[in-house]
Amino acid sequence: MAKLLDKQRYKCALAAMQTVQAIDRAIPVLHSGPGCAQKLSDGTGSSGYFSPNIFPCTSINEKDVVFGGVKKLHSTIDNALKVIDADLYVVLTGCIPEIVGDDSGEVVSEFADAEKPVIYAPTAGFKGNNYKGHEQVIDAITDQFLEKAEARRKGFVNIWADVPYQDLYWLGNIRELENLLKEIGLTPNTIFGYGRGIENIKNIPYAEFNLLVSPWVSLKNVKKMEKKLGIPYLHYKTLPVGAFETSKFLREVGKFAKLDESKVEEVITQHEKYYYYLIERYADLFLENRVINKQFSVVADAQYALGITKFLTNDLGLVPAKQFIVDDTPKEYREDIAAEFKNLNYGLEAEAVFETDSYKIHEAIKEHDYHGYPLVLGGYYDKEITEDLKGNFLNISWPVRDKVVFDDFIVGYTGGIRLIEDIYTVASQRFN
Amino acid sequence: MGELRQIAIYGKGGIGKSTTTQNLTAGLVEHGKKVMVVGCDPKADSTRLLLGGLAQKTVLDTIREEGEDISLDRIMKEGFGGTKCVESGGPEPGVGCAGRGIITSINMLENLGAYTDDLDYVFYDVLGDVVCGGFAMPIREGKAKEIYIVASGEMMALYAANNISKGIQRYARTGGVRLGGIICNSRNVDRELDLLRAFSKELGTKLLYFVPRDNVVQHAEINKKTVIEYKPESNQAQEYRNLAQAVIENKDFVIPTPMTQERLEEILMEYGMMELSDDYKI
Repeated sequence: MAKLLDKQRYKCALAAMQTVQAIDRAIPVLHSGPGCAQKLSDGTGSSGYFSPNIFPCTSINEKDVVFGGVKKLHSTIDNALKVIDADLYVVLTGCIPEIVGDDSGEVVSEFADAEKPVIYAPTAGFKGNNYKGHEQVIDAITDQFLEKAEARRKGFVNIWADVPYQDLYWLGNIRELENLLKEIGLTPNTIFGYGRGIENIKNIPYAEFNLLVSPWVSLKNVKKMEKKLGIPYLHYKTLPVGAFETSKFLREVGKFAKLDESKVEEVITQHEKYYYYLIERYADLFLENRVINKQFSVVADAQYALGITKFLTNDLGLVPAKQFIVDDTPKEYREDIAAEFKNLNYGLEAEAVFETDSYKIHEAIKEHDYHGYPLVLGGYYDKEITEDLKGNFLNISWPVRDKVVFDDFIVGYTGGIRLIEDIYTVASQRFN
Repeated sequence: MGELRQIAIYGKGGIGKSTTTQNLTAGLVEHGKKVMVVGCDPKADSTRLLLGGLAQKTVLDTIREEGEDISLDRIMKEGFGGTKCVESGGPEPGVGCAGRGIITSINMLENLGAYTDDLDYVFYDVLGDVVCGGFAMPIREGKAKEIYIVASGEMMALYAANNISKGIQRYARTGGVRLGGIICNSRNVDRELDLLRAFSKELGTKLLYFVPRDNVVQHAEINKKTVIEYKPESNQAQEYRNLAQAVIENKDFVIPTPMTQERLEEILMEYGMMELSDDYKI
């Protein structure tokens, strides 16, 4: 029987155009119907040198379905190369050409001798959501653009973490991860955001290792790079938010990179001192507050649900209720991710619920006894239900309507503090 | 003039759907009927015998070259005895979506007003395998309500016929489409008539007509004519007239009851085909 999926928190794979856009001077060339890009483009923070409104698109119609759209795709790429000054052209296919069977890969291969690189990622919506689409783009870069390097550079590390634009803090988070790695003596390489682009992509094969900070997204990417480029990877499943996880993270990265342990400990000590200085100053806020020290739920993708649950439990000592993972995590990863939620301090455990239907999530929140006002960190869709329950709500996951984020972040020691500020701002506003 | 009867002809590839449809059409014309034949096959060979050759530009070629703003006479030609002939056509082999092509061209025919009131019959000659929704277009709501399956005593022809019946059953549940019977285009297989009768019965329908094999059909094809036009006095021409009469008089329209693969093979065994399959002759 057909079921209704209420307010899902992702888009289709073609929304990987946001991943392409996050690479400086890279442009998506869309082989899709005219409405796809319009529907998928997220207005927030996406204007600039290239914005979704100028993405070249084949705008295929019925004629292209019947006779195939490859000629149109060829001319669209050809003209994009002529009129758009970009460093990398990424052809993304929507559902229609993939169903019709257009050989887009063959068309793209005809541009092998073009002055600028043109690659192709199949991102038909029926293949999955934009988390999968993000992976397709990175796989396309690996498959079609990168070659194995003869020698790799010691201490040079590629970082893969958040999905740009889907995660509102993507830019700040990746920069903060870079900063943390720099502090312990590594040289980070990332491909997203200001000042990162084609040169960073070209440098990928020289990395000593790939650092994946994510429960599942991009795991297949780093595995592919290991196979094709010979780059080993460290899979750190939890986004480090706050002191406890960040110190653990730095130790693990340091150990994997065989760094001097004392240097890593020095960096950790310095950060922790300041972190706990801040926490101490506001101890009364944490201890005296009677509206937030109840149970909490996070409604977010696996990345945020896991990172924030660990942070709120391990650093703030809050008690987790059910945690909702909304990114349609592929089944093969679920058991492993759910186990991470059992691995919390103070003998606490959280139940991870993989659910894409907001109605069911809201029903579960309504049913649960939070022992007082619930604290919900989630998407804007969860605001109303939290308010109905007189709870405290913070909008940290897609869709975001409550907050404008330029380059703010939640990663690391500083990111943890920023998140605490936001949470307790909500709490203190209750009494205004 | 009665109500317009829209008829879709299905069957295994190469079984003789186009030959049968065109000869049947010629028979209907002799009965004074007004007929339109719509070829629904990218190969565009459904009207060759009526038009005296592949004389026609297909709907899709016309759309491709001239756009959608075309007049009906660009895509419809008059053939033997005033039959209206249309070829849907399709994309080049290996590209695009032929199924969508069928949908596009039938929509085009409707928009251009091809279904005129003076028509008695419209035939859709659909390619062998109903591989996707596009090839089921002629039997969807508002189109052909009557289907004939062309088959022979060969196993694969019956297998295809059974499979097509599953499609008909699906569309019959929601729409008015019904199976009018099986037309046997004989391959001179042993006990073919008995087998086809048993098979039709099992499907819940009847063997509408048994068209015997005759080389005059091939001669007529080489001459780009239907048998009725090429050798009007021949026995085979009379067979096609009889087939036309059977279609005109047919009132048995059913929802087919397709059988399992096991049951189909049982019927084949019963009529000795399985044992004889090594040395049967055409």
